[in-house]
Amino acid sequence: MDINLSSEDLAFRDEVRSFFEENKIKSGEDYFSWRLGWFEKAREKGGWDVPKWPEKFGGPGWSPTQHYIWEQETAKASIPFDLPFGLGMLAPILMNYGNQEQQDRFLPDIRDRKVNWCQGYSEPGAGSDLANLKTKAVLSDDGTYYTVNGSKIWTTLAHVADWIFCLTRTDDSGIKQQGITFLLFPMKQEGIEVKPIITLGGSHTVNTVHFTDVKVPVENRIGEEGKGWTYAKGLLEHERTGLAGLSKSLVELEQLKDNARSIQRGNGNLMDNSSYRSKVGELEIDLLATEFTELRSLASAAAGGEPGPESSILKLKGTEIKQRIQKLTVEASGIYSSAWGDKGVGPSFAKGGTAGYLNSRYFTIYGGASEVQKDIVAKKVLGLTKGNSK
Amino acid sequence: MNFELSEEQKMIQQSVERFVQENYDLSNRIKISEEDPGFSKEYWSSMAELGWLGLAFSEEDGGFGGNQIDTLVLMEQFGKGLVLEPFLANIVLGGGSIKRGASQEIKDSIIPSLIDGSLQITLAYAEEQSRFDIEDVATAAREENGGFIINGKKSMVLNAESADKIVVVTRTSGSQVDEEGISLFVVDADAEGIEKENFPTVDGLRASEIIFKDVKVESTSLIGEKDKGFSILQAVVNDAILALAAEAVGAMEVLYKDTVEYTQQREQFDHPLSDFQVLQHRMVDMFMEYEQCKSLLFRATMETVQDPSLSQRTVHALKHLIGKSGIFVGESAVQLHGGMGVTEELRIGHFFKRLLVIDSQFGNADFHLDKFTSL
Repeated sequence: MDINLSSEDLAFRDEVRSFFEENKIKSGEDYFSWRLGWFEKAREKGGWDVPKWPEKFGGPGWSPTQHYIWEQETAKASIPFDLPFGLGMLAPILMNYGNQEQQDRFLPDIRDRKVNWCQGYSEPGAGSDLANLKTKAVLSDDGTYYTVNGSKIWTTLAHVADWIFCLTRTDDSGIKQQGITFLLFPMKQEGIEVKPIITLGGSHTVNTVHFTDVKVPVENRIGEEGKGWTYAKGLLEHERTGLAGLSKSLVELEQLKDNARSIQRGNGNLMDNSSYRSKVGELEIDLLATEFTELRSLASAAAGGEPGPESSILKLKGTEIKQRIQKLTVEASGIYSSAWGDKGVGPSFAKGGTAGYLNSRYFTIYGGASEVQKDIVAKKVLGLTKGNSK
Repeated sequence: MNFELSEEQKMIQQSVERFVQENYDLSNRIKISEEDPGFSKEYWSSMAELGWLGLAFSEEDGGFGGNQIDTLVLMEQFGKGLVLEPFLANIVLGGGSIKRGASQEIKDSIIPSLIDGSLQITLAYAEEQSRFDIEDVATAAREENGGFIINGKKSMVLNAESADKIVVVTRTSGSQVDEEGISLFVVDADAEGIEKENFPTVDGLRASEIIFKDVKVESTSLIGEKDKGFSILQAVVNDAILALAAEAVGAMEVLYKDTVEYTQQREQFDHPLSDFQVLQHRMVDMFMEYEQCKSLLFRATMETVQDPSLSQRTVHALKHLIGKSGIFVGESAVQLHGGMGVTEELRIGHFFKRLLVIDSQFGNADFHLDKFTSL
């Protein structure tokens, strides 16, 4: 065991830093052309535009330590926004289960950030119990296309998506994990209706999506009919480890401390208040531990291919930490935490702080509610079989 | 000891409960909240007609001679519907200040109009730097030509948008954080030099930042003695804490009951959610917090009615518990409703927001824990 970064790793970190420094947006530069140019340059570095993709598909083939360095540095730097749906969620499925033609057709556009994807999984009756999904896909008599009918819910950014990857039911005669089929189709077509859901923070990110007789060519099916659950399950695990966001939380924690220090109390500031300081301290301790849990998980994955049991707690701890940061921002805002809307009264960080806290309640619900996550840990890690859920 | 409400109080409780059931479903509340002035003038008149606005005023002032227990009865039911009408600002804060220290002349000119619902008033106490310390007052009232000139800025003033009168907490002597040297004045909301910036709050109510620039008031507008306003302010704030706590208890009852009902209906993994022990225990915790808050609410209210000089510590305890438990119950209700809980579509999110705001008003859970342990 050695906590020091090797000289190669240090050199890598410096290289990453100077890349970010050299490619910062310049004042007056158009954001969207800067964004695309940034990814192009990252690509020229040897797959830095797709850090998590395997080397075979153009990724950089980094070690766990290099990934860790990258995550830390990206959390601090100003880099262009990126969406996880195509890049981090669908791409691994295509790589593992898509045929050559599908890989050639979809991966380049995902890599070039040309096509926005959304994820059609949850349904009104299928939340934590995702396999209970009912959106029906019926194969035509000539076997050339499916007709899709049903509804999806909590579909993030469906209103700006070009394509959807969607779990559908093609057979309900067996257990519910069977008979699920994984389809890809364009969002902008007749028969698809997207309705906004406004969350407690007052924002529109998620939607309901209704399908009425949507035709999907059979070549847009990933893998075999009825095997979609197997493909999605791997992806769900991918999603779960990606939700911890610890490096970002570390940056936000420092911001939180700065904010609290800006609130004058007597001869000191809010960080001198023992109750508040204790909560910030407890949060930081949790973060220090969780960060190393993540590193251990990365290391064991690199050594054995499978993430170790410690990885199962990452989503649980990571989301809870993010919520606590939001809550402490609300507390730091004091009386101004109850102001709503764009106007912004009180300290500058108070604006939007409460909306952020309210929306953050979603973190322990989406991608597998914490209660379900714990059921999985109980069953898969501790070997406790007497639970109701799977 | 007796926890029974009087016959009259029971009747009022039932009539408020009916009012809330008939008038405060979620869509109606949202509609009222979004339209100006942010509450229903019609409902406000009904509340006046039903006598609710006069309950907490003495018979000499034209009221019904009730006390904080009557306010508790009203506010707990208001909490079950997230009632928008400005009872707290008018009756507890503004009216509470007037009834405690104003001259007979001011009382006569204001209280009857508060009771019949024709006049709107509020209390401007918080400031940018004060956070939760009510004695931290920088807004200055300087004596000049037998009157006073007020300069300063007040923050998060409830109901100021509709108020005809504002009770403003000022400093007339001493340093910025002295209890001594605080004076309360009642001023016309449209007096020269008053500038308001109105905005909505997280819970669908309204508040304002108010700038006072060379605002002239007569010395007859003073409430209580000059420099001695702190004790009035403290008593009013304690009443406000009791009232908000009662409202919070009503809101928590809705949250835990809605959650119990929802988990019995919603099925996942071929079972109602309520079959899962981990969720059952969470709901038991919500129920326990609600009951404990109710107990401490009764305790603090009854102690205050008995002798306000002995109840301060319990009032701090109450506001701590209400803040902490309210947010726990709110967060739990959202968690157990899953994705639906995080939307504007179900009422539980709105109740959660109200509890969040209540924690931030008149001192949050941390603030009152510090106060409690230092007394």
